[in-house]
Amino acid sequence: MAEPLHIQEQDDLAIAMVMARKGVDAATLGARLGFSPPTTPHLVDGPSGVRLIGVGPGAWLALAHDPPAGWAAFLADALAGVAAVSDQSSAYVVLRLSGPGAQDLMQSGVSIDLHPDSFPPGAAAITAIAHIGVTLWKLDDAPTFEVAVFRSFAAAFRAWIAAASAHA
Amino acid sequence: MNRLATGGLVERDKPLRFSFDGRAMTGLTGDTLASALVANGVALVGRSFKYHRPRGLLTAGPEEPNGLVTLGQGAAAEPNTRATVVPLCEGLTATSQNRWPNLRLDVLAVNQLAAPLLGAGFYYKTFMWPSKAWEKLYEPAIRRAAGLGALSGQPDPDAYDRGHAFCDLLVIGGGPCGLAAALAGARAGLRVILADGDLRLGGGLLSERRRVDGLAGADWAEQAVAELAGLKAKVLTRTTVFGVYDGSEYGALEELTSGGARQRLWKIVARRCVLASGAIERPLVFTGNDRPGVMMAGAVQTYLNRFAAVAGRRVTVATSTDSGWSVALDLLAAGVEVAAVVEARAAAPSAAAQAARAAGVQVLTSAHVTKARGAQLSGVEVAQAGGAVQRVACDVLAMSGGWSPAIGLGANLGARPAWSDAIQGFLIQSPPPGLAAAGAAAGRFDLAEALRDGDQAGRAAIEGLGLRAPDTPAPSAEPQDSAVASPWRTPQKAAKAFIDFQHDVTVADVDLATREGFVSVEHLKRYTTLGMATDQGKTSQLNGHAALAAATGKAIAEVGTILSRPPWLPVAIGAFAGHHRGRHFRPERRTASHDWAAAQGARFVDAGQWKRAQWFARPGESDWLTTVNREVTATRAGVGVCDVSTLGKIEVFGPDAGALLDRLYINTFSTLAVGKVRYGVMLREDGFVLDDGSVTRFGEDHFYVTTTTLNAAKVMQHIDFARQVLWPELDVQACSATEQWATYAVAGPNARALIQRVSLDIDLANAAFPPQAAAKVRWLGAPGRLVRMSFSGELAYEISVPARLGEAFVRALFEAGQGLGVTPYGTEALGVMRIEKGHPAGAELNGRTTAHDLGLGKMMSTKKDFIGRVMAGRPGLTDPDRPRLVGLKALAPNDRLRAGSHLLTLGAEARTENDQGYVTSAAWSPMLGASIALALLRRGPERYGEHIRLHDPVRGPEVLAEACAPTFFDPAGERVRG
Repeated sequence: MAEPLHIQEQDDLAIAMVMARKGVDAATLGARLGFSPPTTPHLVDGPSGVRLIGVGPGAWLALAHDPPAGWAAFLADALAGVAAVSDQSSAYVVLRLSGPGAQDLMQSGVSIDLHPDSFPPGAAAITAIAHIGVTLWKLDDAPTFEVAVFRSFAAAFRAWIAAASAHA
Repeated sequence: MNRLATGGLVERDKPLRFSFDGRAMTGLTGDTLASALVANGVALVGRSFKYHRPRGLLTAGPEEPNGLVTLGQGAAAEPNTRATVVPLCEGLTATSQNRWPNLRLDVLAVNQLAAPLLGAGFYYKTFMWPSKAWEKLYEPAIRRAAGLGALSGQPDPDAYDRGHAFCDLLVIGGGPCGLAAALAGARAGLRVILADGDLRLGGGLLSERRRVDGLAGADWAEQAVAELAGLKAKVLTRTTVFGVYDGSEYGALEELTSGGARQRLWKIVARRCVLASGAIERPLVFTGNDRPGVMMAGAVQTYLNRFAAVAGRRVTVATSTDSGWSVALDLLAAGVEVAAVVEARAAAPSAAAQAARAAGVQVLTSAHVTKARGAQLSGVEVAQAGGAVQRVACDVLAMSGGWSPAIGLGANLGARPAWSDAIQGFLIQSPPPGLAAAGAAAGRFDLAEALRDGDQAGRAAIEGLGLRAPDTPAPSAEPQDSAVASPWRTPQKAAKAFIDFQHDVTVADVDLATREGFVSVEHLKRYTTLGMATDQGKTSQLNGHAALAAATGKAIAEVGTILSRPPWLPVAIGAFAGHHRGRHFRPERRTASHDWAAAQGARFVDAGQWKRAQWFARPGESDWLTTVNREVTATRAGVGVCDVSTLGKIEVFGPDAGALLDRLYINTFSTLAVGKVRYGVMLREDGFVLDDGSVTRFGEDHFYVTTTTLNAAKVMQHIDFARQVLWPELDVQACSATEQWATYAVAGPNARALIQRVSLDIDLANAAFPPQAAAKVRWLGAPGRLVRMSFSGELAYEISVPARLGEAFVRALFEAGQGLGVTPYGTEALGVMRIEKGHPAGAELNGRTTAHDLGLGKMMSTKKDFIGRVMAGRPGLTDPDRPRLVGLKALAPNDRLRAGSHLLTLGAEARTENDQGYVTSAAWSPMLGASIALALLRRGPERYGEHIRLHDPVRGPEVLAEACAPTFFDPAGERVRG
């Protein structure tokens, strides 16, 4: 094993939880945003550098790299009346794991099938690695995964990565 | 040396040095430890469990009951390792077990003389009296005398990895049948995983001299593995599938040789599974059948053909199977002398018998071995049908009493195997969903059948998944006879005729158990321990059932067999623990200021998964109380900062957010003004307090809820349950924000001055920002939240900044506060100050207290409904006699009040019925210079001024305290308004 693996923290990532108001569907949200949010655990990239990941019924994580200050508030204004927005930019540490070794490392951690047939680029999941809750999504077939863990767990998660990749 | 000059799958040009019981030996690459011992002429490998009888290798595979050794030394020692599955490696050290002082001279072999005492159920009946002697005398003595390998008692130095795998087809077993099944699946494009415990695939092909598709068996296996690799099938060698679980999940353990970890625990999810685990040969039962030199015929064949190692010079074969004869012929072909073939059946297979006779082998039919002679086998006694008994000299007896399909995994989910007369064994009747047995595991013992069966099982899996199987032909071999007969008979008064070699269970034990009424197979197992221990009766189970059947006059089909639970083979606990041990036992959560706090001398305490600073010791402070007293007085005199980021934080949005909170809390929030914070209490449905915390309103449709640290997840669930299940009609959204914000309590007379020095761009004057005020602020351009509320009783604020900036912010606070005497304080000082102020916390919110008990009854709104309201009105919960929150102050200055102490009135005897309540929290108050406590006291608020006895039978003498209002410090609450 010991396939190439690159790990990089995405520390310029702004994150917000978007929660649809009662009775508001994805299409209504999409009309405000200019693109259709996913209604399954997948990611969709919008035109303005905003990425939405479906994390539950009527719930999305919105992501943007290095957005202008006040991005979450801006998003909240844009969605006023159709969705609530909670800034979660600091709540997560997002790690990008890329390269053939990423497949082995991630699969050693999660108990869902990450085979390209089951988990193609664009797929997302909320699951657990080493008893740490994670939200993860796949960007490409390199493969490149991004894993979001709650910030307080970051040290524990890195310790798991160190241990698991030492055995690979 | 007992090694043949040619043949075998060993590399003679690659010798390996190893040692057994300190004796230096040499083996070959390709050997197992067991085969190297055979090649070195080692017949004695261990002592038995109870009687310490000398034992040799019985088998050549994972079912081995006798050949248990300890590998390595010290902390890395691996006790109870089966020598038959350990690949030999350079420098390997192995030692025998359960003997003292050494293997040849074992003093405890005198246990054999006590055999009448150690029979079935001896645990239950021998040492009944006097009972006190059990712990002190009998049990330690038994534990010393009976047992297997010893643990090192040191931490396991090895690491254990974890893997998850998913496939269309899992094939368990890499013998001819498994290979055929895997090939069929992989050729059809299935995702295939093939797992086999052996280092080398081929199973029986490595032990026998058979050909497949015109190739030598081992060569065909190698070719098949290469093809599987080319088809991207995952081939896991040295991997034992040990359990079948719900949801088509399989547990497997992979032995690793590189990469730093000892083993990898696999969870495999397979849509289909072919159980091609083969069959296990059964011993014959006769007096002395456990003597070193008595081996399974298949094992003799494996050592001969795979390892070119011969277990002796003159072999007798005792068999009731056709396969036994092929062992005899293989021995003859290798030039090994075969003294006799003892055939239990009336007719021997004619061609084989003819060949044997031609080679000068004595052939005895309708014959049974009745006794093994010699401590180390020197010969056997054979009885023929007429009763004539003759002796045959030999140093190895190769026995074959039939084959039991290795179907333990098939019974893991509870299906009882069913008896088959045709194969004289048990077969899977209703396999777990998606699993099918094939080949020898399905009772098809011959190679040609097994290959065909494996191929068909693979095809069935393909078609079961809705795909088409390719038109490739199944691998083929010349058919060979594989008949078996029932060899079971009741030996007349056979002494020391062993059924379970590992647990020293004999025919006599089974008879005894039967006489004592243990006539079910499951009772038999528990009473005699037959089929227990590391081998789980792989060689013994069926012989035990046969003996039980004979003793009860039933057929084996009626007696039935036991259910097998995971694991099929022993799995080290470390493999299950994996990464999660020591400080990784559970993942820890750290606040943003963790590293900063550590640098300030923080000692951390666990609060759930969180690490919280408990206190910040300064150089020269030798005990924690000195530190905590300093933190409290510095905060009350100047200003202190405490990290309260671990409190749960929940954002509640939506037009109906206020309405929902009104239903969740006992007090009202829909009327809370924007820019205000209010303390709140929520009840469980049963009327007891669930949690307390604050609710801030940041907008018409935006509330910000805080919870206690330990109840954060519970309250989040409670809110989600309420909005999704109880009142889905409400337009409310909620999510956790605990991780988003790093929050610091800044408390003390200088709190305002300190906050003014960090630029939050807000007017903090009392008029502009009074108690209970809240505002969104900015710090260095980042959003922040500021509320004015106090847990300490001081002028206090809670400031939240994005957690990413948490450490920078706390550093900024301490830089700004240098001239103000700013002091970090931990959870102990926090606790002291809240006790001084009488605020309930975890010890009081213990799930057994009502709002009224805690003095919060007046908060319960009578103008609205809320969760827990009705049940809070139950008579039991409104009983005026209930213990209620009071303060206690020690009467004597040196007395210390202790949490957990029970409360008694003066003069009352310390008995349960006189119990008046108990101390929930206690502290030394540096402000009062006294030991104080919060307590739940019957009718407490009516008893201020009364002297109470604190009774603590565990930790010390009684102390006296005075009941008082629970607000010890600044009862008028003036400081908060500062």
